[in-house]
Amino acid sequence: MIRNYIKIAFRNLNRNKLYSTINIGGFALGLSACILIMFYVTHEKSYDTFHEDSKRIFNVFAKTNISGDVIRMNSLSSVAAKMIEDKDPNVSSAIKIKTEYNPVIIKNPENQSQFSETDLVYTDSNFFNFFSFKLINGNPETALERPYSIILSENLAKKYFGETNPIGRNLSLRIDSTYTFTVTGISEETPSNSSIKTDLIVSASSLNTMKEAFYDMRSQIFQGGSFQTFVKLKDPEKVAPVQRSMNALAVQGHEESTDEYFLTNITDIHLLSRESTNVKYVKIFSLVALLILLLALINYISLSTARAGTRAKEIGVRKMNGASQRSVAVQFFLESAVYVFISFLLAILFTILLKPWFFSLVGIQIDSSFFFDPGFISTMVGILVLTIFIAGLYPAIILSSYQPIETLKGNFGNRKNGAQLRQVFTIFQFVVAVGLIISGIVIHQQINHLRTLDTGLSRTDVLMVPLQNTMDNSQSVFREEVENLPGVRKIAAASLPMYGGTNMYFVDDKNSDGQIPLPILATDHEFIDALDIEWSIPLQDENIATKKNSVIINEATINKLHLNPNPIGEIIVFGNSQYEVVGVVKDFYYDSPNNEIGALAMFVSPSKEFSMDFGEKSSCLFIKFRANANVSSIIKDIEGLYKKYDTENAFEYQFMDEAFDALFRSEMRLAKVLNVFIGLIVLISGMGLFGYATFSAQERKKEIGVRKVLGAKVTQITYLLSVDFLKLVMVAILIASPIAWYVMQQWLQGFENRTVLEWWIFAFAGTGSILIALATISYQSVKAAVANPVKSLRTE
Amino acid sequence: MIKITNLEKYYQTEEVQTIALNKLSFEVKEGEFAAIMGPSGCGKSTLLNILGLLDDPDGGSYLFNGIEVAGYNERKRAQLRKHNIGFVFQSFNLIDELSVFENVELPLIYTGVKPAERKERVHQVLEKMGIMHRRKHFPQQLSGGQQQRVAVARAVVNNPKLILADEPTGNLDSSNGNEVMDLLTELNEAGTTIIMVTHSEHDAKFSHRIIRMLDGQKVTENVLV
Repeated sequence: MIRNYIKIAFRNLNRNKLYSTINIGGFALGLSACILIMFYVTHEKSYDTFHEDSKRIFNVFAKTNISGDVIRMNSLSSVAAKMIEDKDPNVSSAIKIKTEYNPVIIKNPENQSQFSETDLVYTDSNFFNFFSFKLINGNPETALERPYSIILSENLAKKYFGETNPIGRNLSLRIDSTYTFTVTGISEETPSNSSIKTDLIVSASSLNTMKEAFYDMRSQIFQGGSFQTFVKLKDPEKVAPVQRSMNALAVQGHEESTDEYFLTNITDIHLLSRESTNVKYVKIFSLVALLILLLALINYISLSTARAGTRAKEIGVRKMNGASQRSVAVQFFLESAVYVFISFLLAILFTILLKPWFFSLVGIQIDSSFFFDPGFISTMVGILVLTIFIAGLYPAIILSSYQPIETLKGNFGNRKNGAQLRQVFTIFQFVVAVGLIISGIVIHQQINHLRTLDTGLSRTDVLMVPLQNTMDNSQSVFREEVENLPGVRKIAAASLPMYGGTNMYFVDDKNSDGQIPLPILATDHEFIDALDIEWSIPLQDENIATKKNSVIINEATINKLHLNPNPIGEIIVFGNSQYEVVGVVKDFYYDSPNNEIGALAMFVSPSKEFSMDFGEKSSCLFIKFRANANVSSIIKDIEGLYKKYDTENAFEYQFMDEAFDALFRSEMRLAKVLNVFIGLIVLISGMGLFGYATFSAQERKKEIGVRKVLGAKVTQITYLLSVDFLKLVMVAILIASPIAWYVMQQWLQGFENRTVLEWWIFAFAGTGSILIALATISYQSVKAAVANPVKSLRTE
Repeated sequence: MIKITNLEKYYQTEEVQTIALNKLSFEVKEGEFAAIMGPSGCGKSTLLNILGLLDDPDGGSYLFNGIEVAGYNERKRAQLRKHNIGFVFQSFNLIDELSVFENVELPLIYTGVKPAERKERVHQVLEKMGIMHRRKHFPQQLSGGQQQRVAVARAVVNNPKLILADEPTGNLDSSNGNEVMDLLTELNEAGTTIIMVTHSEHDAKFSHRIIRMLDGQKVTENVLV
């Protein structure tokens, strides 16, 4: 019997090619989008779950209060891990990890080949016991025991040593000074869902004798520092006592400590990490995946029940021959299962084809092996079972419930409630489509608004070139030579590139005993002029800015430090030094315009070179081009000069406006991904509407025939058939517009600078969807309208 | 075998109630071949649907083999139907997606006959109907006469006690029509009770008795010998 059902399912598939393509193709597309998103979402949620003891591993966080601002830190002093391990018997082991964020120059002394790498980590010798990272070569117990041991990932080992065995060989690493390390192991590549990257692992014991680590290693008490600290608990339920032990340790070292320490499970770090937009993405994408799946399902159900009319006779015949309602239901359920299964296979094929493109769009990398992750597979099986169930159940119940005599007569497809349900489905689909089109336009508008925002400084035609300390002595020569290049209009320097964050310094608060964090920027004397930053209270004398112990502030600083409205001559205390305010610039965005403009203190160096007492090691050149300059050729020239003076570091550059745009990377990504999904949802809704129009035209064949016999024109019939659908789309627009307006208004609240929701956005989305709907149904309407009425009347 | 008493059936639309069967009573004995005649809309097909347990009456009694079935629910009717009744329709009502063999096999599947036995029985009946060579064809590939033979084959494959035929020759030319009537006569001679609705006086003459209907009521009954 089941064979008979499956056979008839396939024959139906083959007989109704248009229907099958729309139904299975549309469903597969929707499923594929859903699978891709779920692939991303489950990957995001699977971070660090591959560690065997993941349930027992916790990251130590500290909440520290600085002048009323609570700051959350995830790094502790170098001794903290050992201290908590010794103090609390609930902790079975602990480990510290320090990440080197500056680029490290790695040299193979055997052949002098040289590489610049980032993300090197220093860690304790129990690393491979503590986590579930694997060593391919080397002893996991001892590989990180001795100082100056280094473990390379498989890829890096190949890169440095080719096919030869790297164990026991030396590499020189230039961090600030240069050190020689011995390779003691080869590690497997880090899984893409690991929050700890392990391409280059160095023994933490090396830090004891590295001068760069002096400050990191100095603290001997339990407090904040440079080491990400993990503890493994014997019992994951014992979080509270361990937290208490840590707080006790903190007070032990520093009686006035108000820092609070708490544990976060390693599997939660990724999604909780402050800067990451991961949580937001995961939420939005999950919702979109659900919507796409829902729309695809609705299409499927709507088309299946719309086609009931053509299956009426078959059902009648089966019932007449003894089929019970249950067996007909089972038949339709199985048929749906077969179609859903085919769609699913097709969707997996689409997914494999679309995966690289989708991930580059979202800007993530996921190991292909994650396809076989049990969590992902079970999600897929879940989706498959759920879709089979939903897609199969409704048509099965509806189709099997008809009386055999009714079905034999063929009055079946045009039942009132079925038609109403299809109308509701169509409206829902278009509500989603219209809503998303509006959202897409608003997001696009907002990004545009931000990108073209007047930020108080000129950022067009400005190239930022970071200089490493390896160029120390040649910086001014390099700068001069760049300045003399044709096409360069102005040149300036600062301690940091724009829009990449600033350094903070704590200054005394005039109104209290506390200290206030104040972002600082060291610049040369050309900086303000070259970037067209405007003065609020200009310098009284050009040379005054470069006088020792003078500072220029922005307007926001006046409020933050509670200075006089005219603060010229006021003193700001930085540590032991006093600085006099000599000028005030108008506020400009040096950070993301998503936030309010913050306070900023600028120290202007007397010469073209500057060395501040604020620990600024590197600097950045700001090169402003003439409007008509040949940019690519100048960049080549600059690169040539750079390589002359810095042989170790790669030449890097970024346009200031691009750096600014990069602040909205996550919004731009969201917009791009959303565009694709909007396209898909419009396509799915369009397919649904097309299918619905097809069957509606079939259903009304006789009516159209009669009308034509009585003299109706083709245009009148086309209008008659189209207007019903257009009404549905209009209703959808009316429902979607206020919802989209509300949701986007909420979304815009997250921005300091926001665009206005203008009426034309809604008009545009509405008109667009009407046109799409018209284009979709016109084919069927015209086809039905021009058909020979005699034929349709005869078949009736 | 069949006894109906004061059978009633109404069709209700929003404003109008149409009486399809108006207190209709008659009896058909086992092994009988009865023809029901009457103008369009007199309730013939409604009657046949009720007799075939495809539809339920709104009033009156329907005894099938002495058992009251008028109040049966869909499940019970399906149960009774599949073991006892075969149908032949004017429009054949074959499933287009199934081959001749599979169409004929259908009632056996629903009565739970094992595959090997199904094959044997389908082959026997196809042989008998002279369409064995067409068993792998699909309905659209057959002539009207051949399609109706398939429909008859399907109706009898389960050895039903009763065959209900609704204008079995309505879509056929006279020679194909006669062949179908001969088939029905043979089946009847072999013991199957047949009730046939027809417009054709010619076809009605194959039966033992003609019941004439008008406006849902029995008008006359002629016994032919």
